[in-house]
Amino acid sequence: MSIPLSPLMVVLLILVAPLFGALLSGIDRRITARAQGRIGPPLLQPVYDTIKLLRKDPLLINRSQIIYAHLHLAFMILAMLLLVFGQDSLMFLFVFAFSTLSLVLGGMCVRSPYSRIGSMREIMLMVAYEPILILLMCGFYLANGHSFMLSAPMTSAKPMLLALPLLFIAFLVVLAIKMQKSPFDIATSHHAHQEIVKGITIEYSGPYLAILELAHFYELALLFFFIILFWSTPFWVGAILASFSFFLMTVVDNAFARLTTTWTFKFMWTSALILAATNVLWLYWASK
Amino acid sequence: MQIQEALIALLVLGPILFGLLMFTGVKGSARSALVVLGSLVTIGAGVALPFFNDGVTVALPPVVTSLANVLEPVMVLTVLAIGFFIKSWPVRLMALVQLGLCIAGFMAPHQESTPDTLLVVDKLAMVMVLIVSVIGSLIALYAVGYMKNHEHHAPVTASSTNWFFFILVAFLGLMNGLVLVDNMKWLAIFWEGTTLCSFFLIGHDGTAEAKASARRAITINVFGGLAMSTALFLCAHNLGSENLSEVLAKGPVVLLPVALLVLATMTKSAQMPFQSWLLGAMVAPTPVSALLHSSTMVKAGSYLILRLSPSLHDTSLGIVVATAGAFTFAVTSALAIGQSNGKKVLAYSTIANLGLIVCCAGIGTPLAFAAGVTILIFHAISKALLFLCVGTIEQTIGSRDIEDMSGLLFKMPLTTNIAIVGMISMIMPPCGMLIGKWMAIESAVGTTPIVLILLVLGSALTIFFWAKWLGRITTSSYHPKYTIESISPWMRTVLTVIMAGVVIASLFAMPIYTLVIKPMYQEVFQHLGAVVLSTENISVLDNVTAYLGWPMLVVIATIVFALVAGTPLFKPSRLRLPYLCGENVESDENSYSFRSIADAPVTTRLSSYYPEIFGESRITAWGNLLALLIILSLFGVLIT
Repeated sequence: MSIPLSPLMVVLLILVAPLFGALLSGIDRRITARAQGRIGPPLLQPVYDTIKLLRKDPLLINRSQIIYAHLHLAFMILAMLLLVFGQDSLMFLFVFAFSTLSLVLGGMCVRSPYSRIGSMREIMLMVAYEPILILLMCGFYLANGHSFMLSAPMTSAKPMLLALPLLFIAFLVVLAIKMQKSPFDIATSHHAHQEIVKGITIEYSGPYLAILELAHFYELALLFFFIILFWSTPFWVGAILASFSFFLMTVVDNAFARLTTTWTFKFMWTSALILAATNVLWLYWASK
Repeated sequence: MQIQEALIALLVLGPILFGLLMFTGVKGSARSALVVLGSLVTIGAGVALPFFNDGVTVALPPVVTSLANVLEPVMVLTVLAIGFFIKSWPVRLMALVQLGLCIAGFMAPHQESTPDTLLVVDKLAMVMVLIVSVIGSLIALYAVGYMKNHEHHAPVTASSTNWFFFILVAFLGLMNGLVLVDNMKWLAIFWEGTTLCSFFLIGHDGTAEAKASARRAITINVFGGLAMSTALFLCAHNLGSENLSEVLAKGPVVLLPVALLVLATMTKSAQMPFQSWLLGAMVAPTPVSALLHSSTMVKAGSYLILRLSPSLHDTSLGIVVATAGAFTFAVTSALAIGQSNGKKVLAYSTIANLGLIVCCAGIGTPLAFAAGVTILIFHAISKALLFLCVGTIEQTIGSRDIEDMSGLLFKMPLTTNIAIVGMISMIMPPCGMLIGKWMAIESAVGTTPIVLILLVLGSALTIFFWAKWLGRITTSSYHPKYTIESISPWMRTVLTVIMAGVVIASLFAMPIYTLVIKPMYQEVFQHLGAVVLSTENISVLDNVTAYLGWPMLVVIATIVFALVAGTPLFKPSRLRLPYLCGENVESDENSYSFRSIADAPVTTRLSSYYPEIFGESRITAWGNLLALLIILSLFGVLIT
């Protein structure tokens, strides 16, 4: 599987990806509803919600907030494009991280205690999972004949999952954090009310909240695509793997209570890191 | 040949002469004019040098070599005198040993070697000269404005401002000398010279704290100087050459002197466990910190270790050096998280980035070398800017604590926006710093896994403290109008000029890589041959040159869009106060109070996380111990 880089493709991706992300989010809401004995909203409810938000009156607290929201979205789209077109994996990670960082800064630049706590928690989470992601990219590098381009795992004949099983497990935890799923929905949450209200996004409303929602849809599409890299040939196996992972996240979300940031940090820097490092080590020895 | 030599003389002797003119006792605007003239001359010469470069090696007459024989003992005796003056036994002892080495050098039978080539003016040296002379001179100009304020507030114990400017300006000359010489005797002289300059600058205020810091700085750096003198002695009497390039060309036999030189660079670059002197240096006036952290002093260490880099490639010594650098990078990044003192955060971040350079030098591949040089260049510009911003903020709000910097965007819009640009340039793709870090990680995958994991952990940690600080200074309520801050025109101009430099360097990071850094590693790694160079994973970089413009365009487009599209929306009627889980008190327009029990107003307070895990004393103690063990392994691997 490889996708040629062309302006038409770029436009297409920018248009289709958020719809796909919204659909993933809709499915998630339906499954959760069924698990709780409800029927749940229509599959496209996230799309309707976003459109409604976009048509609301813009209310704001300061200018910086708005700039950061735009940066968050723009860098998320850029990260998605870098991924889909198989560009350098570390540069993809940096762009992706800067997108999250913009969200954090947007939460910090207003004088709200709730959004500040949310931001601080989000940074802690970033520090917790970022090493796993970088090690994952190093794993791709070692398993793919020393290439940092994402096109390598994308076109590789042998499934990456077999070479990186431990890294995949560690990545699933990162996935739960990135999708804001329990037990890691610490910085902000999809649920109505948590102890820090809405956390990092509390001071965004109307069209600006819609921008953040849109960015999250891109993020979901990006993560779905990223999982496909673990089994890219044939493509449909990767798609099943990604669907299964997303389903797993929904189940985990409904089965766990929220944990603390410190716990998450310690867990990621011990258990998850050891898993990831072990995998990288054996790949390293194998390549010597 | 003539113009190049004249320019070099101007670069090295010019600042020293201008500095000496301070002893005429000039005051006020005459002194300012003198500093401006000296700075402009230095900047001009530094910029002109690449255009008149007509030969990589320059041989100087034998009289210059003889002069070194005189100056070397003079330097050592000065250090000895300071050792007596500050009553420090370690300094006295180390100076005496150095004197012994000096005398032994004279007594030992001289091997007649080839005529001395004294200077090496290659691309790396020219870039370094450019950094020293341009950024260093700009900092000197900033100091003109800064010291006017500082003179009024400085403690009575402070030494005279003329003396301060003499040292500050002469420092640049010594740095230029250090960068250009190939002869190790001269290298040692300039090396000691920069140590002495930093001793006087750190101790400028003469308070107890300043004296203690100056004492620590000289003790640690004289230790490095001792390592360098020993290396010089070994080279001159076992290998029969005093020129660094000739010594390095001899191959693996020279690993012991190389290890000693590495030790010297680590003291100067404030690598763990030698970091304490650089942390103490922040008691000095801000221009001094900016100078020490960005273009001079610590960069002398980075520069020398990058010179040694090709000899370290694929040696066990190189692996230890890479580990030491990566270790410093990870540990000091963690230390920066626990600090709320702005200057200390900057200091730890400097040490971390220097660690990254040391690590790259230890890896020693062309890609790693390119990464090291990239970080060296971009760090110098951004860090100079950030230190000067913190200094300006500190003079205005009277605090350097990050938690006190809330609402700064309103109080000091110019300085704060400039500081934001500086911080963004440290973390945003594709600014130079991030490109450097990116290349460093990519080159580390080929070495030992320990180095890789340390770099990975460290780079995750750096996000934390930058985000915390950036978030704090941008925190503000909506203000319909900005105030105009009043800072000295000197400081304003210099800040704006360096900020423009940061923006331009960030925008053109990839062209800078292609035009400056690529020819540089091709020159340094000539011996590998063109084929090896092109098949090295360097080619990764050439692939991405094409698309790296994207992120920058996206950022600019987004900011412009957000500002232009959003401006009509900024009406007072659309503004809201943050949600505080209670009714907001509407007494004045910027109230952050809410009604609590019995309608009593409660004001909200915001502060950031300083997690206990990153406590300074515990991490420093363990970190220093481990770093000491790594330093020991530096020599351990040579014995086996």
